[in-house]
Amino acid sequence: MMAEEKIAGGKLVCVEVEAVRGRIIRVKITGDFFIHPEDAISGLENALRGASINTSESEAESILAANLGNATLVGMSCHDLARLFRRAVG
Amino acid sequence: MIWRVIDYSENDAFMNMAIDESVSESVAAGGPPTIRFYGWNPCAVSIGYFQSLVKEVDAAKCAEHGVDLVRRRTGGGAVYHDTYGEITYSVIGKEGLFPKDILASYRQICSFVVDSLSILGIVSEFKPINDIVVGGRKISGNAQTRRGGVLLQHGTILYSVDVDKMFTLLRVSDEKIRDKMIASAKERVTSISRERNVARDHAYGAIFEGFTRGKAFSLGGLSENERARALSLAKSRYTSDSWNRMR
Repeated sequence: MMAEEKIAGGKLVCVEVEAVRGRIIRVKITGDFFIHPEDAISGLENALRGASINTSESEAESILAANLGNATLVGMSCHDLARLFRRAVG
Repeated sequence: MIWRVIDYSENDAFMNMAIDESVSESVAAGGPPTIRFYGWNPCAVSIGYFQSLVKEVDAAKCAEHGVDLVRRRTGGGAVYHDTYGEITYSVIGKEGLFPKDILASYRQICSFVVDSLSILGIVSEFKPINDIVVGGRKISGNAQTRRGGVLLQHGTILYSVDVDKMFTLLRVSDEKIRDKMIASAKERVTSISRERNVARDHAYGAIFEGFTRGKAFSLGGLSENERARALSLAKSRYTSDSWNRMR
């Protein structure tokens, strides 16, 4: 399951999701955005593991924001990621 | 504060990325802030830290054309680095030397490029997040990382551009519109030689002047330790599939 979008501002973000029996087992976020520090990407990708595929956009955004820590997203936001997550899981 | 300025030299893609990391480590350990100018020989494609290599680049085409392929430590997009067509810079210093705000620091370092182009009579402007444009056309792309208290920003300054070759190596999202994308890219990108009839050496002289104007600096090279560390990083990380194909 995958959703891709050119975010306002021009960065291309792709969220790929794998689920088994209604639970997220893997999330991969790729694109030409920036995250400082870069290692924070794994925190975001792991944040939704175990969550239901019925997780709402706002719930996903809260989960992602809580796992962002002190990292800074440049060119996208947790709101964008949550929207793409929701689109990916359908 | 005295900057170390490392004059233009050409390396392969793996060594270029390894040198940027090696210098970042030496800056973290108390070495001088450094401005480095470099080229990519052979030509190369670099991809951003978060990009999928498989989705962005035609690796087989790169191999066929003798073009190196490397993942950067910085985010941003895939870039085709032509040996003749591009002059690349890196600015590496302790984070405290630059604005804490990320966009403000991009703007500050990109002003060195804007000043360089101004010396050549080319009016350009910083276009957030990380581009520099001339009349709306991109002439420079820039990318930044901050690790271990050190800020590294590297960026491209196009001297000339071969959009057709670029699209031979980079994948496009929809093959059916490849021609349209090439035509569109030709309209959206410019270069020093397109804006001004100046020799590449002259352009580099202006870039050197634009980056160093108003700064105390001394010309220097890599230390033996930096070079040895870069060689090690090039071998262990930047040539490895585990790094280049990690996403």
